[in-house]
Amino acid sequence: MNKKLLGVMVTLVGVTVYAGGAAAQDKPEVLVKQRQAVMTLQGKYFGPLQGMAQGKIPYNAEIVARNAAYLNVLDRMPWDGFVPSTKDMKSRALPAVFADPAKFKKAQEQLQEAVVKLVEVKSGNEGAAKAAITEVGKACGSCHDNFRQKN
Amino acid sequence: MGTHCGWMLPAGVFFLLLGAMLESAWAQGDAKQGYYLVKAGGCLGCHTEEKKDAVPFAGGRALKTPFGVFFGPNITPHRQAGIGNWTEADFFRAMRYGRRPDGAHYFPAFPYPSFTKIVDRDLSDLWAYLRSLPPNQRANQPHDLRFPFGWRLPVAIWKLLFFTPGPRADVPGLTPVVRRGAYLVQALGHCGECHTPRNFLGGPQRNRFLAGGKGPDGKDIPNLTPTGLKKWSDGELKDFLLYGLTPDGDVPSETMGEVIRNSTSQLTPGDLAALIAYLRSLPPLPDESRQPPPGS
Repeated sequence: MNKKLLGVMVTLVGVTVYAGGAAAQDKPEVLVKQRQAVMTLQGKYFGPLQGMAQGKIPYNAEIVARNAAYLNVLDRMPWDGFVPSTKDMKSRALPAVFADPAKFKKAQEQLQEAVVKLVEVKSGNEGAAKAAITEVGKACGSCHDNFRQKN
Repeated sequence: MGTHCGWMLPAGVFFLLLGAMLESAWAQGDAKQGYYLVKAGGCLGCHTEEKKDAVPFAGGRALKTPFGVFFGPNITPHRQAGIGNWTEADFFRAMRYGRRPDGAHYFPAFPYPSFTKIVDRDLSDLWAYLRSLPPNQRANQPHDLRFPFGWRLPVAIWKLLFFTPGPRADVPGLTPVVRRGAYLVQALGHCGECHTPRNFLGGPQRNRFLAGGKGPDGKDIPNLTPTGLKKWSDGELKDFLLYGLTPDGDVPSETMGEVIRNSTSQLTPGDLAALIAYLRSLPPLPDESRQPPPGS
């Protein structure tokens, strides 16, 4: 096919994809639900690690390794749901999320760095893993401290 | 060395040992029990710097309030930087009456309005523990307070309005368990210092004890009265205060996370049960039937 036709087709596809993206996925209520879903899963996979770190449940290196890998992907997902169009939606996000985006970004990075450290620890090294888990918990807690409403 | 001086060394050792024996006989407090109380009282948080490898109890923690920033002092037994020059009576006066050894008033950022309720024996044990710490020379930072709140004299008026010294009068009709829980929460744990809302003068609103609201640094603080804790079972409260676990895998805020790590997770099972029993026994707030807890 000639270059011009190819160019037109690429443009059309691109516009369709872009327009399609602007339809359902950007609705504020959908974004809020999706980011909350990620947080729920983060809790699901962090919860057992926290229990192990505190000695409530027996330490299990395989679960630590598996959950750390899950968290390493999950903790990159919620953030594109915190856009200004969601500011007035009912959620526990505090206005500070939008008033202080630099600080919010730092909190995200603190979590991601802590999770990376947890992934890098050999989960067979129980002491180091528990210390890394505690650091992840602190990152979750300190972001909530500043950006999430208490109940 | 001539033999006529040979008696001096054994005599010196004898008197040294005698002095040590007398010192330990007079030292009334039990430092081991004091270690438990220092955890129940959550002293570490305010009196330790907020950085990795900070020396415990050597001071430096910043507490942000509407009046400015307070820095927790060094309470190791260092003679210049810490409280090495203090007597046990000085310690009692600080905790019970909020007064420095030189007579000046402490700002109630130091929660003596709660600590005043600690009984004498526990104060002795706490003092014994503090004396057992290695002296550390970390120098104190002066508080960074907005004008005119750096002036200590008005604290005397604040105390007249909001401070009742002395161990809490025994409320009749409480079971021993709930009474122990009340002591842990009101005196040692000083939970009300954060969880009780304050008026514009920084005085606690006594008829809203533990009702939550805005904390000293402006963040929301939960309501711990029966309405606020309605959705929590005793087992869930235990898991939260011991392990920082919530049923859905959520985590405590970092401020409360520190309290859990240093303080509530260190309580004996009996003490933790007493604490929870006390919270359950609190009367509902005057307006609680009409007002849902914040954030619900």
